[in-house]
Order: sequence, then structure tokens, then C-alpha cells
Amino acid sequence: MTPFRRFRRTAAALVGGGALVALPAFGATAQDPDPLSRLDANSRFAIELIIDSANTAGLPTRPLMSKVLEGFSHKADGRRITAVVRTEFGYLKTAHATLGGVSEEELAAAAAVLEAGAKPSQLAAFRVRQKGRSDLEAFTDWADLLTRGVPRDDASSAITKLWQDGADDATFHNLWRSVQTDILQGLNPGTALQNRVRETPGGPATRKVTPPEGQQENQSSR
Amino acid sequence: MNERKVTILAVCTALLVPAPRALAAQLVSTLQAGSYTVSDGVLPESMLRLAPDFHFDLPHASITARGSAFVSEQQVQVADGIVSGTFTSPTVYGVRAEMIGNASRAVDDRSLGTDQVDVQTRIHVLFHQRGGMWFGGGVARPWRVAVVSSADIAAAGIWTTLAGATVTATFTNFSFTKTAAGDTVAAASVSCAAPSDGACERQSHFGDLEGVLHWEGGPLELDAQTGYRFGNAYDVTPDSRRWSSATATIWLNDRIAVVGGGGRQPALPLRGLPARSFGMAGLELAYSPSSRSAVPVSFPRTVLVKSFELHAAPQGMEKIVIRVGGVETVDVMGDFSDWSPLTLVRRGRDLWELSMPLSPGMHQITVRTDGGPWMAPPGMPTMHDSYGGDVGLLVIDNRSNQ
Repeated sequence: MTPFRRFRRTAAALVGGGALVALPAFGATAQDPDPLSRLDANSRFAIELIIDSANTAGLPTRPLMSKVLEGFSHKADGRRITAVVRTEFGYLKTAHATLGGVSEEELAAAAAVLEAGAKPSQLAAFRVRQKGRSDLEAFTDWADLLTRGVPRDDASSAITKLWQDGADDATFHNLWRSVQTDILQGLNPGTALQNRVRETPGGPATRKVTPPEGQQENQSSR
Repeated sequence: MNERKVTILAVCTALLVPAPRALAAQLVSTLQAGSYTVSDGVLPESMLRLAPDFHFDLPHASITARGSAFVSEQQVQVADGIVSGTFTSPTVYGVRAEMIGNASRAVDDRSLGTDQVDVQTRIHVLFHQRGGMWFGGGVARPWRVAVVSSADIAAAGIWTTLAGATVTATFTNFSFTKTAAGDTVAAASVSCAAPSDGACERQSHFGDLEGVLHWEGGPLELDAQTGYRFGNAYDVTPDSRRWSSATATIWLNDRIAVVGGGGRQPALPLRGLPARSFGMAGLELAYSPSSRSAVPVSFPRTVLVKSFELHAAPQGMEKIVIRVGGVETVDVMGDFSDWSPLTLVRRGRDLWELSMPLSPGMHQITVRTDGGPWMAPPGMPTMHDSYGGDVGLLVIDNRSNQ
């Protein structure tokens, strides 16, 4: 075989290999104009109904579509995605009924708090607010505290009290950071919150609670 | 100290005060300098080695330019440079494709310079968190060396992780047509396919079996390699039959490392580079040193992200800054990306960045390294997502978005 023929043969193989390399990349970057088309017919029908209902109720549909896309990223099947979207729709509807006309971002954050375990009635304190004040940081930290195992009523009362006292975003964030540090060091989540909320400006200044012996383990649900 | 050495040291010192990171775009550069001893019978001892290294990284492609020059008392003795482009496909069911193109030039003051262009394609099969293998081939076209044809390259490799170290074994076979002088032909008793004017062309081939070890622990990196070259005495010179070398790097900070090592490197006939024995102790000055992983293509594994930060960037963008070392890729994903992975760009040894627009509101975000499992980033509120994982909760308020 001459060098030229060998070069041609190898070059042809490389072109084929290059195509093999390139095609998946182009496929991965292509945008899907209709994400719902990836669902089976029944799931698609069910989710379209939910989205129509959200539109009718004046609820944002972006959080619902986001749940669909999140499901795709987790390779969830259509039934699972439909169940998640239906649940999210419920949270949005409840948050809207409790908070009234708030922004789409705040409604989605409130839905996250409900998803983390808060009771709808515990959101009611956030219905009244000063103009321009955002509850996003409070909701975010609240959802985290619930996820880390802080008792629902303790988390609700602490966050609500700070909110009603006019705490700013930094106060909420500092409280969250302190509590999560204590939890990671082994303190009981509820105790950690009680201790830290007393140190927070606006919180009651009482003696620090020390957990009894043998209670130092992280009791977070995570 | 002569003028040339002073110049090199001045350049090295200048790199200690690098430009702001924003000016470097996606460039990564490494510069090595030290006192080297090279002995192949001709080159003088006690030389400086200058090795610039530039990277331009994209999510699925990278361009690399690197070189080295051995500088003696008076002049450049040996210099070689190589420009590489690599394109990797996304990993699908543990399979990934990689295409590599190289163009190189070597200059030796004892002979003419040599050039080579080569292209290779590899298919990688990744075994979750444990290792992987690859196979592939390509073609190399050298000029101005005693090789008159393109060279066929076939390669295969396997790697695994053991006790925190990455161990790689490769076999690479080269076959090409070589020109031999008449007296060499007679002495080696080789067959001559096309004799003419006292020289002949014959098929040559040799194969390199090589083992590589790479280990990182804190500021210390260890690299070791050993190899054996298969082939008859005509194609493999005695000084390239066996080789081994080791290098230790201790990072004093993000940009300065002490490097020491030694050993033997085999000849590279297609590039006209001789075998070299070396012992060196030097300083590595890096603007943004790249990982020197022994594994050429990423693999899924779980690595803890050290930190996650969000900074305001120009034009209303937000810049995600993640610190995690010893990985090849870092991706983020969330509602802001419609839950599609976005690959961060390496800016340093353990520094990764990505600028993008983020609308005001609460965003859910997850991060992964080397295609591993998605995790909530550290240092931010977290919650369980609806599908059994964890997500970080990122708050973008109107002020930070202005």
C-alpha cells in the first residue's frame, strides 16, 4: 500500500470518527421547542390541563414547566413528572390564596416553603408587608431550616417573628448560617435555632439552651 | 550570569505579578524555569529550561500551545513547540469520543528543524467512579526526519484509581516507512524495499508500553512513568528501549510551585527529538495552572466542592465562582438553565467560573464534577427537590441584578 493510499484510508477513518464526536455534541446543544413532546400522551395531556388551570387561576406557569424539565434531567417517567407538577400546582395555588397578589418569584419561593413542610397558615404573616420589601431570603432560609430538621412550628415562629420585627435579608441569612453551622457540628436542629434566634437582633435575650448529654447528634432529616 | 539567563529570570519574575484574572479571558499559562542537567552525549550540562503552556478551554473543546527550550550559556540548544486542539463529545451511557489534532515543530541546533502534524480519534469507555479504557488511532505526517511516509498510530489504554492515585497503562504502536543509508542497511541486515542511491526505504514499526502514575494530595503532586519500547534493533535505539522518570510538585500557593524530578525520556523519532536523561530542580510559576491529570478524559466521581460564590459581573450578568480541585469538568444546572447542564470554565488550579444572566428571584441550583452525581452547592440554603435529590437555593434580588 502506498503512503498516499494509506493516508487516504486513515483520513477517511478520522473523518468518520470526527462525525462520531461532533454529532452528539450538536444534539446536546439543540433546543427543544416543545419540551412536553418528550412526554407520553397521557402525561402530556394531564400536564397541559394543569397548566391551563394555572393560567385560568392567574398563577405563573414557569415553575410548573421548570418541574417538567427538572424531571427530564432526573430521567423521571411521565407519571412521576405529572405527580410532581400537580403537587407544585397545589402549592402555588395555596401560596396565592394565602399571600394574595405577590410576584411570580415570591409565589415560587412560598411554594418551596410549603414543599419543605410549612403549613399554609404559617405563611399568612407574610401577606402584609412594607412596599418594596422582599420575602425571598426569609422564605429561602425557612425552607432550608425545615429541610435540616428544625421543627415546623419552631421554624415558623422564628422566621415570622423576625419578619414582623422588620429584619433585613442579612439578618435572615446570618441566622441561617449560624444555625446550619451548629447543626453541622452536631447540635439538635431545634436547639440550634432557639439558641441563635435569641442572639439575633430583635429576638428575646435569654439564657442559651444547652442540649442534654447524648443529644449532640445531628438529628437533621438530611 | 549571562544576559539570556537574566532575561528568562526576568520573565519568570514578571509572571509573579500577573494581570487581573479578568484580562486573562480563558487563557491559562504555565512557565517553568530551573536548573537542568541534560545528557545525551552532545548537549552541555547546567541549562535552563523554559516551558510556556497556554490553554484555551471551551465546554467540549480546548486548544493548547506548549513548548520547551533548553538554553545553554550562549543560545537555544533544543526547542520544541506543539499546538493541540481537542474536541470531546458529551458522555452517553459511559461512552465518550475524543478527537485530537496536533501540529508541532522541533528545532535542534545540531540539525534542521522538524515538523509534524497528526490527528487522532479515541473512544473512551468510562466505568463509574472506578476507571475506564480507550482505544483509537490516527495518522501523523512528519517532515524533515528520516521518515518518508505518514505514520499510522494505533493506541489503547486503561486506567483506574487506587488509593487516591490514578494509574494508567497505554500501548501505542507506530508504523511508517523509513529511509536508511546503505551502510546502516548492511550493518543491520535489514531488507530493502526500494533501494536507490545507496539508501533504501523499509517498513518500520515500534510499540510503546507505558505506565503512568498521578497522585494529588493537598499541595503535593506526584507523577511517575515508566515504559518499554518494542521493536527490532534497527527501529529502536538502545537509549530508548526502557525509560522511567518521576516528578514531584509542591504548590506553595495558587501560582508558585517547587518542582523536582529526574529520569529518562525516550526518543521521539517522528518528531526528531533525541532521548534525554534529566535531573532538574526548579520553580514553576503559573498564572492559572491546569490540572495534570493522568486521565485524558473526564470520568464520573464524587468530589466535594470547596466553595461556591456568586459575584455581580458586568452587563447585568452574574458570575458563579466554584473552587474544587482535581477534576476535569464542573457543571451547574438549575431552573435558570431549564435544567440543562452548563459547563464552567477553568480559571485556575481549583478555580472555575461561569458568567450568565440570572433573573431576580429564588433559583434552584445543583452542581456536579466530572459528570458525577448532582449535589447542592456548599454555603447556601438547601432543600430536597421533588425528585429525590438536593438543590441549593440561590436568591437574586433586584439590587444585585442591577
